[in-house]
Amino acid sequence: MNQRIHATAVIARRRILETVIAPGYYVALTIGLVLAHLLVAGFVRTVDSSGINLSLVPVYDLIGRSLAGAFGSTFTAKLFAEGPFLFTLYAAFLPVLLYLAVSTVFRFGLEKKVGALELLTYGPADATAYFLAALIKDLLMTAVSLAVLLAFLLAAAGLNNLVLGASLFHNLAILWFVAGAIYGYGILAASLTDNSASAVALFLGVFLVFAVVMIGSFAVIEGYARNLASVFAWVVKWISPLFYWDLALRFAEVGNWGMYLAGALLLTVLAAAVLALSHLTMKVRGVRP
Amino acid sequence: MMRGMLRLRPCVAALLVILPMLLAAAGLAAQAPLREEQFVYSIVAFSGRDYAGTFARREADTIYLMADVDNFITARNALVYFWPITGEWKLDLAGLDVPFEGTLELSGRGREAQPVGMTPYTYYNVRGEYELNWQVATGAEAEAAVQHSRELIAAYYAAVQTHQRERVLYEELLNELATVITALRREGRDVTELVAELEKMEAPAQPEPPGHYVVPPSSVQQAFILNLPVGEYDVRFLTADGEVMEGSERRIVTFEKRRAEAVGMEVIPGDKWTRPEESTSPTSVLYVDGSTDLYLRPFYQQEYNDLFYEKLRRNDARGNPGLMKWVRIQQVPGAALAVIAGTAGSRTEPRMVLEEPFFVEQIPGGALGYRIVPFDPEGAHQGREPSLRAFHLPVSARQPVLHLRVHDRDGRALPVSDRQVRIVAPSANGWLPLLLAAIPLLALIAVLVLRSRRVSR
Repeated sequence: MNQRIHATAVIARRRILETVIAPGYYVALTIGLVLAHLLVAGFVRTVDSSGINLSLVPVYDLIGRSLAGAFGSTFTAKLFAEGPFLFTLYAAFLPVLLYLAVSTVFRFGLEKKVGALELLTYGPADATAYFLAALIKDLLMTAVSLAVLLAFLLAAAGLNNLVLGASLFHNLAILWFVAGAIYGYGILAASLTDNSASAVALFLGVFLVFAVVMIGSFAVIEGYARNLASVFAWVVKWISPLFYWDLALRFAEVGNWGMYLAGALLLTVLAAAVLALSHLTMKVRGVRP
Repeated sequence: MMRGMLRLRPCVAALLVILPMLLAAAGLAAQAPLREEQFVYSIVAFSGRDYAGTFARREADTIYLMADVDNFITARNALVYFWPITGEWKLDLAGLDVPFEGTLELSGRGREAQPVGMTPYTYYNVRGEYELNWQVATGAEAEAAVQHSRELIAAYYAAVQTHQRERVLYEELLNELATVITALRREGRDVTELVAELEKMEAPAQPEPPGHYVVPPSSVQQAFILNLPVGEYDVRFLTADGEVMEGSERRIVTFEKRRAEAVGMEVIPGDKWTRPEESTSPTSVLYVDGSTDLYLRPFYQQEYNDLFYEKLRRNDARGNPGLMKWVRIQQVPGAALAVIAGTAGSRTEPRMVLEEPFFVEQIPGGALGYRIVPFDPEGAHQGREPSLRAFHLPVSARQPVLHLRVHDRDGRALPVSDRQVRIVAPSANGWLPLLLAAIPLLALIAVLVLRSRRVSR
């Protein structure tokens, strides 16, 4: 066990260094920050004498109309009630999340395919140490990204006399746990498949299903589609990180912090369960494709 | 044969003209909404602040009602049509309205089916300090309430007639006296006493319209009154002979508020008083550009499921089942607003702002706008009612952050009533965030330079 922890720590350090010296992460983070800047600057121009009027800025008008059409006007009103930051947080974090998750999944699949993982297991490391190291790297880089994003949003708020609302902090904290569970699914997808392309495809496919189910439960749909979505959602939601994310935020909305923390804990449990499944898969299937 | 064809030609030409017209007319006819006779439930449901009328058509499988309050349902055959302009389903009661008499069978929550009979009812809103004073009367009480309302109206009309008669007599007397005074003056006689008498005469006072009801009770009607605890129920309509009416099965969902201990804020900008905004979310921030003063009206609000509430008010409305929404209930009576300027480090002492009456004046000339001015009952606005009662909050860029808190009439700060008003303007340093956004790229360059130096060593 100690050997595995040691191997995990060594590989994680190596992976973090590799991420730090490669341009991909910086580019993804810059894309996120530029997006954040554009959204905050656009929001400032939507403010008139009576408050927020999204129709004043074409991009926000489009965003507002699209969101209201899909999820209803209450959703849009709540999203922008505290300002632009909640929407901006998710829009800006998405490029980083995708980059970290997809790059890990791709690399796992690739190293398995070319035999690098097999070579590692001849030494003191095993496949579990390998993917745990990848997870640690992703979680650390996610924490750094969220901290940078928060600092940027604070600066943008200060420059425009805006304020970061309480909801932003609830969302920011839970996002780290959600990202952890998402990375867990990425590792599972990579351990179930034989090459990078199929690993990425499976990972994105699974997340598309989770996202569709989540959006379906929010969306303003009627009749048969709603019933179908609710039945499907009831089955899928228990294994979806987005369900626990939503649950935690619902409790945060009414100030039930115990249940909010329970939501974060459930996300951790989900991630652990998915990783355990990955561990078993690697044990059964081995490290060869 | 040719001659025959020539004879037919005018007919063909006429057909060629008439046929497109007929087709166009047919097209126009297709634009008219298609009315369909359906069994519907007419619903008068309490929405937390008033009664909303809607109906459940054949395709609507669920009726949404508020729990533990009286809601009224009737069964009828009516014409239903879709109105594409507003995207709503509507009832054409002028075309067909056949109310059914029978029983509503209610079941659910593991209990036996329970018949609900029709009850005579009426509902009304009596005048109070603020708007929420709805009352329901059933049976004999309903008749009494309607009778009382009619008596008030009849008494008012009687008083108006008496006033008109007295007014005619008064004016006749006035004319007579004026004529006498004029004649005596012409004769050069003393009219001092008569003039004093004339000055003493007072016009008869106009009777006040009945002010007891804001919404008077409508005529007594028969309906199934449903006052149910939170839950789901099944209903169907049984005709007078005990048969189940085809297509009358519906589900009833009764719901209640999730939270009520919050205060919302209606924000009326001085330059757009017809476009008020509502700040309902307790954590929301009021961002304004500071170009005009604000007029605020705090109100109590309750939180409901978005889908349930929307469907309660209009059964064919859309809503989001995964969200809760705040709903305005009534203005906070006798409130005061504590205003603190500044941010955490440098806050001013709270300044108490009281509710004041205001009058909305149209700006003369080509500007074609409105302005809100203090109500002046003795001067310019004599004999008129104030347009609004609100808290006047002057805003300016010199005070970019204002903290508001609503106090009740006893001076207690109301929970969840805090709001921030922030004056937002595009920053002069708009390039700075872009520079900050490029920091990761600068970090990358630094890392690459350091690494290349280390490798070259």
